[in-house]
Amino acid sequence: MTARESATGAIYDLGYRNYDGPRLGRRAAVTTLYWQSLRAAFGWGRSGKAKIVPWGLSAFAVAPAAVAAAIAALVPLEGASPFNYDNYLFGLTAVLSLFVAAQAPELVSGDQRHRVLSLYFSHALLRVDYALAKLGAMITAVFIVCFAPMVVLFLGAVLAAQDVGAALGDQAENLPQVLFAPLIYAAPISALGLAIAAWTPRRAYATGAIIAVFIVTAAVAGILEQATSGRLADWAQLVNPFVAADGARDLLVGGPNPDAAVGRTGLPLWIFGLETLLIAVAGTAAAMWRYRRVAA
Amino acid sequence: MPLIETRALTKRYGEHVLALDGLTFEVEPGIIGLVGANGAGKSTFLKILLGLLDPTSGSALVMGLDVTRQGPEIRQFVGYLPEHDCLPPDVSATEFVSHMGRMSGLPAAAARERTAEVLRHVGLYEERYRPIGGYSTGMKQRVKLAQALVHDPKLLLLDEPTNGLDPAGRDEMLDLVKRTGTEFGIATVVASHLLGEIERVCSFLLAIDNGKLLRAAPIASFTERTGMLGVEVDDGADALAGRLTAAGIEARVEGRSVLVDCPDERPYDVVRDAIDELGLGLVRLEHRRNRLEDLFRDQPEVAQP
Repeated sequence: MTARESATGAIYDLGYRNYDGPRLGRRAAVTTLYWQSLRAAFGWGRSGKAKIVPWGLSAFAVAPAAVAAAIAALVPLEGASPFNYDNYLFGLTAVLSLFVAAQAPELVSGDQRHRVLSLYFSHALLRVDYALAKLGAMITAVFIVCFAPMVVLFLGAVLAAQDVGAALGDQAENLPQVLFAPLIYAAPISALGLAIAAWTPRRAYATGAIIAVFIVTAAVAGILEQATSGRLADWAQLVNPFVAADGARDLLVGGPNPDAAVGRTGLPLWIFGLETLLIAVAGTAAAMWRYRRVAA
Repeated sequence: MPLIETRALTKRYGEHVLALDGLTFEVEPGIIGLVGANGAGKSTFLKILLGLLDPTSGSALVMGLDVTRQGPEIRQFVGYLPEHDCLPPDVSATEFVSHMGRMSGLPAAAARERTAEVLRHVGLYEERYRPIGGYSTGMKQRVKLAQALVHDPKLLLLDEPTNGLDPAGRDEMLDLVKRTGTEFGIATVVASHLLGEIERVCSFLLAIDNGKLLRAAPIASFTERTGMLGVEVDDGADALAGRLTAAGIEARVEGRSVLVDCPDERPYDVVRDAIDELGLGLVRLEHRRNRLEDLFRDQPEVAQP
């Protein structure tokens, strides 16, 4: 052995051991990727800068409900709050659009841009597993942003009441809505946003494209409602994925709000439910298709 | 069971590009050099072993598992160091390597523990807590090696591991590869276009050129003595060769040298006398060994008659 070799040996010969413990395989790999992505969606474990957008938007999503609950607690007036379970999520359209536009690229663009994908795909998971883990994390993240204010509304209604026990009983019928309405919103818009983001390694393009799609669809729906009349104006509302999700939510609670966008169309609710399902499935399929093909 | 076994493995890109052309061979565990010019098909071959690419036809088995059908099972026991950059800039080496350990199926505690060990093994210390974006090329190569080793693979696939490194960095990386392969018994395939590197670390050589297998054999068989005597003279190599041929000894000119066929000891005296009589200056007298370069230099002549 030469002097050089023994010198480097002295430096490096400290650690390597063989590993005989368990190897958890594909399922563990997918779970790991899901949790890591969910944390990334809120900037957890990242720099402070990465937390600004997700936490800021989450605060925007919760603030109105929290303020309304606080006012209701201080000034107990019947029916004073402008917010309820039926209109709150649709009111978050802009916040949710921005959240998906900012965080879907956060989850997927970097892996393509920095070619981390070739490492992921050379681990114990399949390409579609990667797509589904990322999508699952995105849906969960949007679900959390929607679920938090619904919980605040629920707690506000219960805690502001004179008789908390009775209020809990009254509010119990709203629990399915509190739990499932956020999911009905989260699934289609996350799938749509992630499918768009998966298409480019450039984060700014992805964000721009998602915002464009959400704004353009809302604008087109609005213009068509104004510029046309009758059935066409009604059907035009279906262009907006948030209207579709809201209709699906109405389907869950059993009836439309006549003053809301869905109610004004007068269309049967199953159409909105079907469209929501289609958007979610199509977005998922597009993301899976993309990751089956993307070079790694 | 062979480490890697391929049968008529072929990969086409589109109509015209034939990246791998009917590779058939078996290799046993060890440090295997995969050598070929840029574009010879090395990376394509590694990616097929990983299941990142599907072969157009033919088959490949890694540790007895089929690459097209048993990808996840294979990849659980394989570490891969790609040729290109593959590291996210915004996380630290510790976080990234430990994440990759968990992606390979290690439980969280084991992943953390092995990350610390493996980063020490590749020579990353305090800097491992800083974001990877600020690392030098040498440090990034070490992180790439660490993430390939974190789950204690049975097979390590290294694609140009010394890419972009300065000479000192190359030496260190090659030492690391050799130590990892020999001392820890991890079968390793090192793809490189630099024969010198392959010669230093590998025990077995797979040579491919234009997607075809040139040779698969232990490295020693490439560099054995040829029974040729190389005689380098000042000038007058032609005259010397003529004189030797006249004396009934096979000799041919190669640059300033004359290659003399030496089946026995008789040519030594003839060479000495001929140089003396011609009054030439003798620069070098050596037994010729095969060199790895010959493998590639001779190939085009064979291919184009």
